[in-house]
Amino acid sequence: MKRFRATLLIVPTAALIFFFVILPYVTVLLMSFRAPADGQPYGQGFSLEGYQQFFSQPYYALSLPSSLALGMATTFVCLVLGYPIALHIATASRRWRGLLYGIVLSPLLVGIVVRSYGWTILLGNSGVINSSLRNLGLIDRPLPLMYNNFGVILALAHVFLPFMVLPLLSSLQSIDPAIAQAARSLGARRFTIFRRVTFPVSMPGVQAGCILVFVLAISSYVTPSLVGGMRVKTTTLLVIDALIDQYQWPFGSAMALILAVTAGIVVLIFARLTRMKWT
Amino acid sequence: MTEVSLRSLQKFYGKTAALKAISLDVNHGEFVSLLGPSGCGKSTTLKCIAGFEDITDGRICFDNKDISRKLPEDRDIGMVFQSYALFPHMTVTQNLAFGLEMRHVPKAEIAQRVARAMEMVQLTPYADRYPKKLSGGQQQRVALARALVIEPAILLLDEPLANLDAKLRDEMRGFIRDLQKRVGITTIYVTHDQNEAMTMSDRVVVMFDGEIAQAATPEDVYNRPASERVARFVGNANILDLPIARTDAQGTTVTLPGGATLQITRPAPSGQSRLRVMARPEQITLTSADLGQLPGRIEKRYFSGGHVEYSVATDCGPLFVTGPTTQHFAEGDSVGLCFDPARLWPLPDAESAQ
Repeated sequence: MKRFRATLLIVPTAALIFFFVILPYVTVLLMSFRAPADGQPYGQGFSLEGYQQFFSQPYYALSLPSSLALGMATTFVCLVLGYPIALHIATASRRWRGLLYGIVLSPLLVGIVVRSYGWTILLGNSGVINSSLRNLGLIDRPLPLMYNNFGVILALAHVFLPFMVLPLLSSLQSIDPAIAQAARSLGARRFTIFRRVTFPVSMPGVQAGCILVFVLAISSYVTPSLVGGMRVKTTTLLVIDALIDQYQWPFGSAMALILAVTAGIVVLIFARLTRMKWT
Repeated sequence: MTEVSLRSLQKFYGKTAALKAISLDVNHGEFVSLLGPSGCGKSTTLKCIAGFEDITDGRICFDNKDISRKLPEDRDIGMVFQSYALFPHMTVTQNLAFGLEMRHVPKAEIAQRVARAMEMVQLTPYADRYPKKLSGGQQQRVALARALVIEPAILLLDEPLANLDAKLRDEMRGFIRDLQKRVGITTIYVTHDQNEAMTMSDRVVVMFDGEIAQAATPEDVYNRPASERVARFVGNANILDLPIARTDAQGTTVTLPGGATLQITRPAPSGQSRLRVMARPEQITLTSADLGQLPGRIEKRYFSGGHVEYSVATDCGPLFVTGPTTQHFAEGDSVGLCFDPARLWPLPDAESAQ
């Protein structure tokens, strides 16, 4: 009886997950097998046409590897930029820590549209960077800073950096400072301590941060569409295009599912490769 | 084996003095405990010796070589931390091998020495376990073996037993002491537990407020404390403030309330009319009311297994007495207290001078 009443506590959460996660997924799954139709979002009966269309046309099929590559690159940039930040905050004095925390979190206070638009102002052909360089006489024609992978990865890394830093930080802060001292007393120098102790012990944070950023990056829409200007084709952009512009719900749903499943597999492989036997 | 000496060691945090010119010599193979309440500077002293804290002034020497400016990684110390500080992502074997790898010991020799160290702390069956899969006592032994396997010049232990339960703590106490004797390594042990310090050490260094109050054998610290504060910190102490009847070649005679006199075989500090003497609870015996040197009444009685503890109200204030379980006094009984003058310790007057 007691157990039963305790189980009741998860009902609100379970209901939320059922109605807003499981049910939509089931709907999308069903929709992806619907037959296409002209003039209306989907037709009668079921077919595999959505999936066929995706895999048979390189325009669509190739968006998947390029989306994954974009996600991985963004994750890598976030890790390389975020780790030193997290390490610095973790070792900062308490007074500084609050301020640095605020700086890291500040991008989250500004909406994603504004932030992405900000990057277009900076990176555009007549944007701040290019016009400055041109006025200084350093370049003749604008550098290709946006409408390409470079610009999209840069903007995505900026947008998602806090999601890398926060798990890293919590992981680094939970490391007993005596561990580094122990390594020192055993004769290890700073870089050795980092390579052999601090970094491996922070792996749970690395893992969490990477998964978070990767998943967010490959499913992002606003930043690739604004900074990439439809010239960087990600699967997410094609999904929205199919659903909203072309009004082809089965095809859009199929693509969305293919992306979700692929991302899931990548995350599983990553988790498997970075598995820690010691936790 | 190495001799450690601290010479006028000072440590300031800003303007606050954590260590006020500490001097201490630790002999070859000696086991010395730094004992004191929290904030007394014992851990700071240890961190200074390890090199994790810079010293403000003074010198730290290993075998007469000044190492004060050396980095911790160059000091050749083995250290055991209160939290054990094991590397969680390494197995027991890997934890033990780490220090040897840092010293570029050949692989075959590492395997050999790790195996030997593991045997020494009886952890061979756990060689491939990660620290999380070990009990507190086992983790403690890994930490100890990891510190010793590099055969350091000195061993530093920072409250290593504080996180263990009472029974395991007693066990580990004997284990560490035996191991230290077998290895013969110069050891400095920090603790706030006077039992630990007394049972394990060759010498106990009692510290208060960043200063050494007394550095002596456990027996001396217990029976002949340098000050009232030491007396009170190490074990239970009854302090009696008694008028001096006379001082002569035999020593000092003091008078108890009620008229009985005690002759203490040590001269009193000159120019004093009263003497403060210390009597440990087990140095006072209880008899029937008409026999003792000082009358009293049992206020509280605590049975503690091996003996009985009493709080006795007397004209010298409440006294704490332990007696054998064969004796039966109940709360409220009138009793007589007997003192053995040879074991009464006159306290120096330093405390009141401070």
